[in-house]
Amino acid sequence: MFKTLHVAIREFLATALTRGFIIGIFIPPLLMVTIIPATVALMGGTPKVNGHVAIIDKSGVTAERIKDQLSPEKMAERNRQRLERLGKEVEKKMEGIPLPPDAKEQMQTGMQQQVDTGGLLDQPDLRVTVLAADADIEKEKAEILKAIGKEKDAAGADPRLALAVIPPDAITPNTEGTYGNYEVFTAPKLDVAVQSDIERAINTAIVDTRLASLGMDVTKIRSLIKQPEADTKAVTASGDKATNEAAKMLVPGAFMFLLWISVFTCGQYLLTSTIEEKSSRVMEVILSAVSPMQLMVGKIIGQMAVGSLILLVYGGLGVVSLISFAMMHVIDPMNLVYLAIYFVLAFFMIASLMAAIGSAVSDIREAQSLMSPIMIVLVIPMMLWMPILRNPNSLFAQICSFLPPINPFIMILRLSGAEKIPTWQIPASIFVAACGAVFMAWAAAKIFRIGVLMYGKPPNFKTLIRWVRMA
Amino acid sequence: MTDAIRIRGLNKTFGPKTAVRALDLAIPQGSLYGFIGPNGAGKTTTIRMIMSIIFPDSGELSVLGKASAVESKDQIGYLPEERGLYRKMKVGAFLNYMGKLKGIDAGAVDRKVKTWLERVGLADCSKKKCEELSKGMQQKVQYIAAVLHEPNLIILDEPFSGLDPVNRRLLRGLIGEQHQAGRTLIFSTHAMFEAEQLCTHLFMIHKGNKVLDMPMDEVWRTYDPRTIIVEPLDAADADRAELWNALHGVSAVHHTDEHVELRLADNVAPEGVMEQLTRTVRLRRLELKKANLEEVFISLVGGDAAALRAEADELESVKG
Repeated sequence: MFKTLHVAIREFLATALTRGFIIGIFIPPLLMVTIIPATVALMGGTPKVNGHVAIIDKSGVTAERIKDQLSPEKMAERNRQRLERLGKEVEKKMEGIPLPPDAKEQMQTGMQQQVDTGGLLDQPDLRVTVLAADADIEKEKAEILKAIGKEKDAAGADPRLALAVIPPDAITPNTEGTYGNYEVFTAPKLDVAVQSDIERAINTAIVDTRLASLGMDVTKIRSLIKQPEADTKAVTASGDKATNEAAKMLVPGAFMFLLWISVFTCGQYLLTSTIEEKSSRVMEVILSAVSPMQLMVGKIIGQMAVGSLILLVYGGLGVVSLISFAMMHVIDPMNLVYLAIYFVLAFFMIASLMAAIGSAVSDIREAQSLMSPIMIVLVIPMMLWMPILRNPNSLFAQICSFLPPINPFIMILRLSGAEKIPTWQIPASIFVAACGAVFMAWAAAKIFRIGVLMYGKPPNFKTLIRWVRMA
Repeated sequence: MTDAIRIRGLNKTFGPKTAVRALDLAIPQGSLYGFIGPNGAGKTTTIRMIMSIIFPDSGELSVLGKASAVESKDQIGYLPEERGLYRKMKVGAFLNYMGKLKGIDAGAVDRKVKTWLERVGLADCSKKKCEELSKGMQQKVQYIAAVLHEPNLIILDEPFSGLDPVNRRLLRGLIGEQHQAGRTLIFSTHAMFEAEQLCTHLFMIHKGNKVLDMPMDEVWRTYDPRTIIVEPLDAADADRAELWNALHGVSAVHHTDEHVELRLADNVAPEGVMEQLTRTVRLRRLELKKANLEEVFISLVGGDAAALRAEADELESVKG
C-alpha cells in the first residue's frame, strides 16, 4: 500500500512540477484575467478625434440640419441612446438567470455610469464647415489628404476629416420619383465609430429635411415608426420564465468541458509517462520493487491527483468568479459534488484505457493507432452536448447515461441542465460507471502486466483482447 | 545450508518457442551463482520467473522460502537486463525513490544513498539529472538501486555489459564484497571470463535446457583436460617424434603451430610426465592445461557453440 502511495506521489510530482504543466495550467486563466482589463484600458486610450467635416450642400436646405445633428449635444445624445440599447440587450440576456435584486441594481448602476460618462470612447471634437454649393469637389477632397501623410502640418490644428456631398435629389425626388444617395469622402484612418456616427447624423438630417419639406411633423413620425420590442417568456409550471438559450447551454457545457479537459489531460499524461517508463527501460527496474498492479494503480492515483488539481484550479476559479459577481445561485452546489464523483469514475475508466495502451506500445507513434478509437469515443459527449441539452430526458440521452465510459460526461450535462432528470438515474448511473471502472481497471491490469515487458512489434486490439483473456 | 532458490520442473513457452524446459535448480544460500549461456538461451526468462515478473507455464518455484518473489521482494535486489533510469529525475531523488519503494525508512534512505554514491565515486552526481550521466555511470546508479536496501538475495542480469575495464573491475569488487558478506548472488553473463573469475557455482543453459549445474571446483575437476603443454626451447625438437613417443603415461600427442599438447593416459599423475620432460627436453614453457568455461561449454553443446564463439570473439574485441 505504501509502495502504491510512493508511486502515486512520484507520478504527481513528476507531472505537476514540470515547467510545461505549470505554464499550461496557470497561464490561460491568468491571460483571461489580465487581457480583458488590458483591452478595456487600451480601448480607452484611443486618441481623441479632432477636426472638421466639410459639407457641399447642393440641395441648399440640408446643411443646417447636418450641422445641428453633428453638434456636441446631439452626438452625446446618440451615444447615450446606443449605450442604453446595449444595456437593455445585456439585461435581456441575463434574464434567464435569476439574479438577486442587489446584483441587478449593481448592474443597472454600472450601466448607467457608462451611459452618463459616454461609454469608453472620448466624445470626438467635431466642427462643421459648410462650403459653397458650387465648390470644386476635387479641390476640397485634396484638403483631406493634407490631414494625413507628409502634409499633416499644413492642415494645422483643424484637419479635414470628411467631406460630404449632398445632391439635390437626396431631398426632392428626381424625375423617376426616387431619392438619390449622397457621397462621403473620409480620411483613410478615420475611427470607424466616428465615421459611422457622421453617416448616422447626415442620414437623420436628410430624412428630417425630406419630411419637413413635405410639411410633416418630424418628431411625431419618428415616434410612430419606432420598432416595438418583444418580451419573450416561457410558460412553465413554476410561473412564466424568461427564456435564455445562452445561459441554459453554457452552464452544463462548462461543467462537462471541465470534466472532459481534466480527465483527458491527465489521461494523456498517464499515457506518455507509461510509454516513457517503457522506452527508457526503467520499467523493469521499478518492477523489481513493486508489482505491476501496484505500479499501475499508483500511477492512476498520481494522475488523478493532477486531474483534481486542474479541476480545482479551473472549477475553483469559476466558483470564485461566480461568487464575486454574486451569481453563485446559477449552479446547484450539489452538482459540484456530482462533478467530483463523476470525475473519479470517468478518470478511472479513461486512465485504465490509457495505461493499458501505454504499457502495450514502445513509443508514442505506435500509440496513435490504438488511441484513435478511444478518441472517437471521447469526442461523443462533445458532439452530443447540444442534442442532449435540448432534450435531457429523451430516450437517447437516457441510454447514453448508462454507457461507460461516456456516461459520466452525459450525466453531468443532464444534471446541470435546466430540466429535472429522474432521481433514480443518478445512483444508477454512478453504479454502472463504477462497474465499468472496475472492469476496465481489471482488463487494463492484465494488459499492463504483460505489456510492460513486451518490446518490438506493437500489438493490435486483437492481441490486447487475447492478453486480457490470458490468465 | 538451506536453499535461497529452489526450482522444480519449470517450463515456459512464448508462442511456438520454448524458452525454458523442465528446469530443476537449487541455489544454496551464500553462493555466487553464474548463469551462463548465449543470448536467447533462457537466462533472462529464468531470472524473470524467479522475480515473478513473468509466470511459468508449469513447475514449482520458491524464493527465500516463499512461494513467490512478490512476497519477499524487499529482500531481493534485482538489476534487470532491460534497465534504465528516469531521464529527467535527479540521481539522488531516483535512488531515494527506489529505496522507499523497497521499504527503507524515510529517515535512513538519504544517508544510505549518500554512502553508496561515495563508494562508487559518484558523490558529486547526486543533484545531476540521470540523463546527464554517461552509460557507465548510469549503470553504477542502477547497481546501487539494486543493492541499496541490503537484500539477502541479489540477482544481476548481465551486470558487466557496457562497462569499461576499470568499471568492470570495480563491479567485480562490489560483487565480491556482497559475497563476502554472506549474501546469495546470481548473475548472468554470456562472457565466460567474468564467471570464471567470480563464481562459486555454475549454471549453464542452452536453448532452454540446463546443460550444467555444479560448484566451480567440481567443474574444474570434471572438465580437467588432463593435457600438458610443452614448448621446446629449440623449435626443431617439436618435430622429433621419437622424443615424445618415449614418454611414459602419454596417450596422444598433438602438434600446434606454437607448442605440443600431450594428452595424459588414464590414472597417470601429471607430475611424473612433467618430470620426465624436464630431463629429456630443453624447455621454454611447460604447463598443465587448465579448462576454460568456453571449452567446457563447447564440449557440452557441441556444434551449437559456433554462435557462442562468435559472440565471445566479438566481446573479446570490445575488451581489447
